[in-house]
Amino acid sequence: MSTEPRIAFKAGRAFRRENTNWVDPDPTKGAVILQNGEDGLLHFIWKNRTTNDSEEDLILFPSDATFAPVTQAASGRVYVLKFSSSNQRHFFWMQDADSTRDKDFVQNVNRLLLNPEELPVWFTGFPDALGTAAFEEPGTAQASSSSSSAQPAQPSQPAQPGQPGFQFTQEQLNQFQSMIESSGAGANVPPVVELSLTDVLTPANLTPLFTSHPELIQTLFPHLPPDLPSPPTPQTIQQVISSPQFRAAVRNFDQALRTGLLGGLVRGLGLPEEAGTGVEAFLRAIQDQAREGGGGDSMDTD
Amino acid sequence: MSGEDDSSGWQLTESDPSVFTELLKSLGVPLVVDDLYSLDSGALSTFQPIHALIFLFKWVGSSAEPSSGGQYDLEFPGFFAHQVVNNACATLAVMNAIGNIPDLPKGVQLSDLINFTVGMDPQTRGMVITSADWLREAHNALSPPSAISLEGLGLPKTTEEAYHFIVYLPYMGSVYELDGLKDSPVQHGPYEEKGEGWLAKAREVIEARIATYPPGSLEFSLLALHDDPLPTLQTSLSEAQASGNHAAVEEIMVRLANENSKRERWAFENSLRRHNYVGFIHALLSAMGKAGALDKAKEDAQAKMQERIAKRKEKGEAAMDED
Repeated sequence: MSTEPRIAFKAGRAFRRENTNWVDPDPTKGAVILQNGEDGLLHFIWKNRTTNDSEEDLILFPSDATFAPVTQAASGRVYVLKFSSSNQRHFFWMQDADSTRDKDFVQNVNRLLLNPEELPVWFTGFPDALGTAAFEEPGTAQASSSSSSAQPAQPSQPAQPGQPGFQFTQEQLNQFQSMIESSGAGANVPPVVELSLTDVLTPANLTPLFTSHPELIQTLFPHLPPDLPSPPTPQTIQQVISSPQFRAAVRNFDQALRTGLLGGLVRGLGLPEEAGTGVEAFLRAIQDQAREGGGGDSMDTD
Repeated sequence: MSGEDDSSGWQLTESDPSVFTELLKSLGVPLVVDDLYSLDSGALSTFQPIHALIFLFKWVGSSAEPSSGGQYDLEFPGFFAHQVVNNACATLAVMNAIGNIPDLPKGVQLSDLINFTVGMDPQTRGMVITSADWLREAHNALSPPSAISLEGLGLPKTTEEAYHFIVYLPYMGSVYELDGLKDSPVQHGPYEEKGEGWLAKAREVIEARIATYPPGSLEFSLLALHDDPLPTLQTSLSEAQASGNHAAVEEIMVRLANENSKRERWAFENSLRRHNYVGFIHALLSAMGKAGALDKAKEDAQAKMQERIAKRKEKGEAAMDED
């Protein structure tokens, strides 16, 4: 896994005054950097831009933290990193003179905090009203303490807005935001709580089903290996679902679903392409299919 | 043994006796592979005559691997091939064994392949074997179909690394060690024909080898490559029946029953290995959906995942505290 920085921007820290609700900004010039560590986990780092030392290094697990605006702050550019699993609060204030990209940075930080596999999305690389675009070669943008902002190394992003004077109006930003939201691909999609197929297809979950719904066993026989040494019985199904070969296949399929690339494959199962984009989506699609195709019996009850 | 991304189309197989036996069947070789749980004479006599021993192991220690004794035989005139593709290691070990067993019935493709490599150096022989499409297909038929190819997606590897395989067998009066990762076969000295024959010497060599590893650092298995017992048992049964020897008939029938049930178990496992489960997974989840059990299963699975994440975080924090 690459340990290149994935997002970086100029930001200083702010500290709560003890026993009060005051948060005082620390003037030290710094940068917030999100990058993958050698441990394969996402790290939230605050670096001192004067000494170049990383003075904070937090490990972030998926869905564990959010980066939220502190609405009471008059300047509107103060944010807090807060954790769902503890009371930790880390305050930061944006130090880039140009505030038009704050929203981009913050949204992308939150996307990564939710799911470290996400690719950040940048909207400030679009051409201005005159149709000219300032494109920088990827990899040449430096996180320096001079005029240009710290930029992430994103080889897949052709646009690297680092040019001074390259402004993007708030109105244009809002337009793009509503475009993303309406396509359902934006930050307003409700967060998905992770789950693994290997925890769904357990003998513990499946065995009771065969006792309570014996008619469903018939639907499974056609999908057993075709070259079994003797004709399959309900016992065979039990053996198969407890076998290391089946468990390995479920793990493998679970991993494949997480790549989000199984759209074509799931169509072969009569499911919509969307069902191949993740475990949650796959299960939802099957639920829908079962409801529609189901012979009039049980809807989901608990 | 891991990390080699160029698998050249060879899939990693399990190292089960059932997998080896199935491979031998597809090669037209009437030999069978069984697990050996010890090297004592009782265990070995069960499978006599044994043509070769396959020692498979995983070295999990951190220091340098100890040397195995014996002497390199650069003039070895028999069949020896280098392992050029890691995933092919099981089949390569089988080839190094059966290539040196005299008068062994073989399928035509196998005979032709072995004859073709006469006079080649081990490296070239290894490359020739690895390029034999029909052999690779027979090998790949032993593992799950790669309907979903996850190669090249850079996913973290969850499958086990390959074991390393070493063949021990008798050749021209001495016990030889054939290790596809070594330059040449290793000669461990002559053996006497009487009693257990070459196995007595092989036992010495293997036990000495195991003893050189620090305790707990070695995971290993021993396999015996031997004649298929079924035909012999059938013949003995007929004879015993013909001569009215009821005690013998009973004893042989018990052994036949055991062997047949083991083979049926192996056939079951192999059929499970070759199967593409996507349809079955879909059918199972649909059944859960129809029975109204999917929502709860989903919730429980989400809870389990949260637990795992929390545990990992604990470990992560503990690790940070240690800095």
